[in-house]
Amino acid sequence: MAEANSPPKPDELYPIAVLIDELKHDDVLLRLNAIHRLPTIALALGDERTREELIPFLDESVEDEDEVLVALSEELGKFIEYVGGPEWGHVLLSPLENLAAIEEPVVRDKAVESLNKICAELSPEQVEQYFIPLTLRLSKADWFTSKVSGCGLYTAPYAKVSPGSQEQLRGAFNLLVRDETPMVRRQAATNMAKFVKEMPAAIVVQEMIPMFEHLAGDDQDSVRLLTVEILISIAEVVPKEQQSSHGVLLRSLRQLIEDKSWRVRYMIADRFEKIAKAVDEEVVSRDLVPAFVKLLKDNEAEVRTAIAGQIPGFCALVDRNTLLNDIMNHIEDLVSDSSQHVRAALGTQISGLAPILGKQETINNLLPMFLQMLKDEFPEVRLHIISKLELINQVIGIDLLSQSLLPAIVQLAEDKQWRVRLAIIEYIPLLASQLGVKFFDDKLSQLCMGWLGDTVFSIREAATTNLKKLTEVFGVDWASEAIIPKVMAMGGHPNYLYRMTTCFAITTLASVVSMDVIAKSILPMLEKLTADDIPNIRFNVSKTYGELIKVLRRLPDQGTIYTLEQAGAPFSPSPRGQQLIEERIMPCLEKLQKDDDVDVRFFATTAAAEATAPGGGEPMNTSP
Amino acid sequence: MSDLDKAIETLRNCRPIPEAQVREICHKARELLIEDGNVVTVSAPVTICGDIHGQFHDLMELFRVGGQVPDTNYLFMGDFVDRGFYSLESFLLLLCLKVRYPDRMTLIRGNHESRQITTVYGFYDECLRKYGSANVWRYCCDIFDYLALGAIVLGASYTLPPPASPDIELEVRNANNSIMSNFQRHPNSINKIKEQDQSRQDEMMATNGAGEGSGSSPGKTGPPGSGASGYSSGSVGNPAGAVLCVHGGLSPLIDTVDKIRLLDRKQEVPHEGAMCDLLWSDPDEIDGWGLSPRGAGFLFGADIVKVFNHRNDLSLIARAHQLVMEGFKEMFDASIVTVWSAPNYCYRCGNVAAILELFEDNSGLGILSRSNGDANRSDGGPRGVLMENELAAPHLGPARRYRVFQAAPQDSRGMPAKKPVADYFL
Repeated sequence: MAEANSPPKPDELYPIAVLIDELKHDDVLLRLNAIHRLPTIALALGDERTREELIPFLDESVEDEDEVLVALSEELGKFIEYVGGPEWGHVLLSPLENLAAIEEPVVRDKAVESLNKICAELSPEQVEQYFIPLTLRLSKADWFTSKVSGCGLYTAPYAKVSPGSQEQLRGAFNLLVRDETPMVRRQAATNMAKFVKEMPAAIVVQEMIPMFEHLAGDDQDSVRLLTVEILISIAEVVPKEQQSSHGVLLRSLRQLIEDKSWRVRYMIADRFEKIAKAVDEEVVSRDLVPAFVKLLKDNEAEVRTAIAGQIPGFCALVDRNTLLNDIMNHIEDLVSDSSQHVRAALGTQISGLAPILGKQETINNLLPMFLQMLKDEFPEVRLHIISKLELINQVIGIDLLSQSLLPAIVQLAEDKQWRVRLAIIEYIPLLASQLGVKFFDDKLSQLCMGWLGDTVFSIREAATTNLKKLTEVFGVDWASEAIIPKVMAMGGHPNYLYRMTTCFAITTLASVVSMDVIAKSILPMLEKLTADDIPNIRFNVSKTYGELIKVLRRLPDQGTIYTLEQAGAPFSPSPRGQQLIEERIMPCLEKLQKDDDVDVRFFATTAAAEATAPGGGEPMNTSP
Repeated sequence: MSDLDKAIETLRNCRPIPEAQVREICHKARELLIEDGNVVTVSAPVTICGDIHGQFHDLMELFRVGGQVPDTNYLFMGDFVDRGFYSLESFLLLLCLKVRYPDRMTLIRGNHESRQITTVYGFYDECLRKYGSANVWRYCCDIFDYLALGAIVLGASYTLPPPASPDIELEVRNANNSIMSNFQRHPNSINKIKEQDQSRQDEMMATNGAGEGSGSSPGKTGPPGSGASGYSSGSVGNPAGAVLCVHGGLSPLIDTVDKIRLLDRKQEVPHEGAMCDLLWSDPDEIDGWGLSPRGAGFLFGADIVKVFNHRNDLSLIARAHQLVMEGFKEMFDASIVTVWSAPNYCYRCGNVAAILELFEDNSGLGILSRSNGDANRSDGGPRGVLMENELAAPHLGPARRYRVFQAAPQDSRGMPAKKPVADYFL
């Protein structure tokens, strides 16, 4: 094959020779670099020489730094195309087999990964002839490192080979499961969950369940905790109606739930919903419900945190009466759990119960829990509850929710944690749209304006976005009365960071206000701010002008860009907009373009370019 | 969008930029920084920040709390790199912002901005890991040598020296310090002015000056673990003076700010001498000077700070360099403050961080246009003229405000919040 291509001239080969030299270089970095260039070397050598010279050479270079070996393991996994395609893929197995026996786990893992990748491309005959013997050799090696690697090489070839070889594989795997070193048993347990999925139910029942039972009874908890995944795999493969006849499964499940090691119980708790879905309903109501309650009361906070995460998922699987009578009161106990992490986990999940419980039960059971958790001393708990209020809202309706939660919300609006305040702000437009103008003006308006002067920049920013959404809800007339004067008042604040809020607010509000508001309220304020002492204000005014110009070039005499776009009717810009740009905005921008400060000049020039840009009718981008 | 804006965008997403671009940006930055004196002049309002130490996501949190560049003016007091996982992104972002908005951003040198320290504490390894070569580290270290050693903030309160004669209420001076106009004490307004002076003085003297605004309780330090701001209303030092910002502290070899200006700063941080001291010293409850346990720089006491502030007409020294659990700490009758901006330092200390906001002078006085780096950037004329009615205006905001913030939450860090369970156990 190399002859088919004309043999490369010596000087073309020179860089390749350098690379090959670098494979043996003293400097690790150079060797590493050369390994990553292996495909280049292989391409230059051609398929045949790669197989006959490069691969044997690599075969012998397993005495190197781990970093280099990891890279080598990775490259070999992608090497099939350079040795002549899948029919020659098996030549790569030999160096990878050596790498899979290395002491360093990272190298072995990479080698196993690459071996499995190659296996996927090999033909059944190649697998039978080369891969299976390799798996068996590794599995029966003296040293545990090879066996550990061997554990990972069963799933990939299994489906490709004859029943005879499959049986052989199962037999060898059985030995690994019963290996004397826990490292090997752990690895076998990890891989068994995937391995089981390759087989029909009958074989699983006959051969795999005994292996599972053996591992589930292991004296090391690090092995036992891995069997939870196997249990789920087996339960998913074996049809539910057959499960009850295999008492072993159930017995092991009960043992694992009651395990004396919390790490095992943690695994059960963490996978509880998956387990419940894989087993039949009788087991759920007879075994899993009491187990669930038990885990909710576990001694270890980690276990309770994990099971709290499974609450809505599992509760959806049990019937309503059981849920209300047997489970709910135990969930309620978690609200006052001693660990903040348990309460935080509960906070993220508890809202998920609302759709399951329905309106009445949510009011009876969940609302009191919410109110208590909204007062939790740990901010993350409060935050989690607020961010999930939407779910409850859908179930019990906003009226009830706001009545019972409003006092708590108002309190949280002044929370010390700014992220809690942020979560509340994001919730306000929804609340406003449901409660109506009057209620809003009475109860919430003060809060919303207060946020404009918040000490944290992100809150002030969110407050302006909030005002825009409120204007979308309540309309421009309301805005020009309730919002605009207050926004404009911020422009007179002694601190530049707060004066800037006015600029931000105008930019955000531009698309939801009418021509009149712009002409009568906004432009006079901006004109005043163009003479501000602080350059930061002046260049933000310039930016704001840029946004206003975009809006004015599209805005008709009546209505706002937002309402007209919502209505979907075509509209044409009013000449008054162009007039305002030319008479009120451009003179200011011209002045700002001659400002002392370079940033002011830059942003003023950018904004002025907006006014002269062609095609005023293009859809504008409202986000700053 | 220019290449620089794109680079800023990339870095904001915590992704490194190509080596060639780093080189270009460092080149631009050097052109800017070479023009700066050892002590750069910054006009208020400005937000002063302490150590960052490669905690990129916490730097983003800082901007979320304090405002974005260029909207808010920032002064970073060094130690951008080392210890955290994202020294490279943090420093390059700050440097790009400096190049893009030179008048909005000031960077001064910390003791970690040094070849020797970065090879030990992580920045060198990080560059090597992220680029496969040490070139980027070399470019950055070259920039470190050009960073200013300190900054003087003017215009935070009364920027000008106190009136020369009791009959003159205030003077307005331009950048060249020549007197533009005097305001004589007016028989009619004298009481009013006295009253105001008195109230200002009260505020300055009070150890727990009441803060303006949202009603959070005043105090010298923010309560730990809260997002609340702390207030302080100034020191008993010279209330009309400027604020000196420096990474470490004072040096026995430096008795005036002008002596700092005479140093040759374009070099690796030396092991001893004035330049080393400025970056390494710490204030301590001692008299005079003491040996520093750090092995570089000195410890200095309240008397040293008071004499220095008096001699140099300073109202405050702002410095960083030391972890403070509450984010900031004022010492020696609030004549020196430590500002620390790396929350949960090293991802394990559990401290909160702070930034210090110095406001513009409310009376509209003494706003000096800046000319960082570019000589022709501004004409340096005063913008505001004092009007009598403005003088009487009731704006007497706190001289400084501390914003306390916590580490960015896990989910905003862009890495898996929880390690896969298997790893955790095995």
